[in-house]
Amino acid sequence: MSLRLVRIDDRLLHGQVVAVWLRALGAQRIVIVDDATARDEFLREVLTLGAPQGVPVEVHDVATGAARLIALAATPEPVIVLVRMPRTVLELRHAGVPIEVVDLGGMGSGPGRRRLHKTISVSPDELRELRELEQMGTRVEIQIVADDRPIPFHSLDSGS
Amino acid sequence: MFRKSVAVGAGLMVVLLVAAALPGAVLGANVSSGAPADTGKITVAAWQAALIAFGYYLANSPWLFGLAFFTLYRPLVAGFFVGCILGDPAQGTLIGAAINVPYLGFISAGGTLPADAGFAGWVGTTIALAGGLDPTKAIPIAFGLGLVGTIIFYGRMAADSVFAHWADARAEKADISGVALMNWLPGQALLLVISVVPVFLFALNGPAYVQDALSRLPAWIVTGLVIAGGILPAIGIALNMRFIFRGSVIPYFFIGFILMTNSHGSMSLVVIAALGLALAYLHLSFVRGLAPVKAEVDVAPVSGPAVAAAPRIEGAGSGVHLTRGDLLRSWALWTFFAHANYNYERLQGTGFAHAMTPIIRRLYTTEDEIRAALKRHLVFFNTEPNFGNIVHGTVIAMEEQRANGAAIDDDAINSVKSGLMGPLAGIGDTLSQSTITPILLALGIGIAGGTASGSAVPTLTGATGNPLGAIIYVVLVSIVIVAIGYTAWMQGYARGRTFVTELLRSGTIDRVLEGAGVLGNMVLGALAAKFVVVNLAPTVTIAGAQLNIQAAVLDPLFPGALALGLVVMTWWLLRRVNPLLLLSIYLVFAILAAYPFFGPDHTDSSDPSAQYQVCTASLLHPYYPCGAPPALPAPTVAPTVAPSVAPSTQP
Repeated sequence: MSLRLVRIDDRLLHGQVVAVWLRALGAQRIVIVDDATARDEFLREVLTLGAPQGVPVEVHDVATGAARLIALAATPEPVIVLVRMPRTVLELRHAGVPIEVVDLGGMGSGPGRRRLHKTISVSPDELRELRELEQMGTRVEIQIVADDRPIPFHSLDSGS
Repeated sequence: MFRKSVAVGAGLMVVLLVAAALPGAVLGANVSSGAPADTGKITVAAWQAALIAFGYYLANSPWLFGLAFFTLYRPLVAGFFVGCILGDPAQGTLIGAAINVPYLGFISAGGTLPADAGFAGWVGTTIALAGGLDPTKAIPIAFGLGLVGTIIFYGRMAADSVFAHWADARAEKADISGVALMNWLPGQALLLVISVVPVFLFALNGPAYVQDALSRLPAWIVTGLVIAGGILPAIGIALNMRFIFRGSVIPYFFIGFILMTNSHGSMSLVVIAALGLALAYLHLSFVRGLAPVKAEVDVAPVSGPAVAAAPRIEGAGSGVHLTRGDLLRSWALWTFFAHANYNYERLQGTGFAHAMTPIIRRLYTTEDEIRAALKRHLVFFNTEPNFGNIVHGTVIAMEEQRANGAAIDDDAINSVKSGLMGPLAGIGDTLSQSTITPILLALGIGIAGGTASGSAVPTLTGATGNPLGAIIYVVLVSIVIVAIGYTAWMQGYARGRTFVTELLRSGTIDRVLEGAGVLGNMVLGALAAKFVVVNLAPTVTIAGAQLNIQAAVLDPLFPGALALGLVVMTWWLLRRVNPLLLLSIYLVFAILAAYPFFGPDHTDSSDPSAQYQVCTASLLHPYYPCGAPPALPAPTVAPTVAPSVAPSTQP
């Protein structure tokens, strides 16, 4: 299993990922899957150039990302996958990407969003999508940085 | 789950406060005869405890131009100030430096805090200095305190979310000053109370309490704490190595270590840093010059127009324009107050709105416009608050264009904020938190570590601290951080996206990071030689002479080999083991290694032979070496040794 971390984080690549996760996992590649980001040439360049030296960053939309991740999952290279929202993970999962665990790393608050834990808030739609992921057999956990203990999503999800 | 942990934390805090307050009143009465090896006790007066408590508040406050996190929050600097307050700046700096080493790899990103380095520094130095504790012994005690301190941080992060909603209410009324006020007043009032009260009580009662506790422990456990003080720095150094001990710069770590051990700890850190700078220049010229430039390797070509700056609205006299004063005011407000109301819900959201107040005042006049602008900037925001200022500069330029009629909607501004804040924070945190700060800290700590003891393996016991270490660190880090923040802000405003892409394409940041990696590894290696101490106690008898394995066999071959091995092993282990777990394992190991397997635990006798028996009774020992073994023919010792102890040396 070379997809070391599949992380939902609305800030995508930032200090927690670069300064903490990357070092902790010894990952050698970062794959970002997000349709809007893939369309924005400026952001794509910032993301690919902004990562630490020696760690290639790829930005894909969901369609090409799924194919790329299926290929990468079959190699031993340790990879970090970053997406903005739960729906993307669901789409990747439906496209056949083997994802055992998804990490909720950063989901900002806003109108209509309920806070689950510290910096993790969800909208009703996202809550449904996360439950669907769990039903499909993907574990959903909150682990903001590598040194935190992972908290299972279902222990915070009061149901309903 | 989260509420529960806050409740548990709060409960724990109350218990600790009571525990800290008790011994002065009850237990303190029967502390008298205990025989701690430490000397030079200072009684902390109430005014001194109050100053220390206020110092800890300042370390988390916005009032020092946003630099408190880089200065007063660091144990090195805290130690200097506690030393000044208690009347011994040199010893305070030495203790602060020692306490700081396990925190060298300290990073706080996006509302996470592994341990409260500030609490460890302010309270730990007070307890060690007032209690006359050996600096090495202060290291494990302070680390425990750092874990307690996180309760204050997490309590504040949770409570400050409420104040963000108070700011929302002011924004609804288009009340610009109200939003600004809500970003600092309630959050800081709360922080003042939850910081000052516990630190005051700990500072006042902690020294007596800790001394009392230490005097009740068996001698070997206290010895174990000192051993732990030599081992725990390996974790801080290894955590920092996770960032810079990579690729072609790895050898410089060993060069730094070897320079320090082979000069018996007497080489100045300033000299090592100067060597490091020279080597960094050579490395960049010769080693890196051969490697392909990053931009050519993995970046697809990007078409020009898409990344060009949005066209400026020209036309003097028409429309509203920001003055340089507006920009500076906005930058200053951000630099001061970015984290004044740091909270889980929005992180720096209210801080961003606060910084935008001078811009909003200048650009917008109608109540609807002001309300919309305030609400637009009160949303979730988080970046590294110095390099990340490119975001603010860019957003301010967009606001200016929008106020002058350009078709820039909320979505355009939000997508720049949310799209750029992450990647820039990634670069910014790498620069400021995992490169610049630890390297400068390592330099400051090395200078503060003072004169060497002259033994083959450097030790802190008996060393004299040097307050210059703290002062040099504060000056350097402040200049670098402010320069980055100012440049990012102004360039972001003037050139926006073009600045970001040009800066990234030029490879300047990678070059800076790699050069810093050379310097950082040299300094870190030297620091490891100075602060990581592993002394094997057992002896072997060869040809009738008792020989200490380390002093007689290992150190002549490679001084400090065990310490170096420990550091590299810790670096390797940290990829697999959680740092806190590893820390606990090391602590337990250090204390077990002090258990007197091979002899008596302690002795009241001043007979060197008896003391030697105690010193060599355990697996590890803090002092090096264990004096001269009584049976060993040692000519330099002979004249002063009593005949009954060393009869064999008499001719």
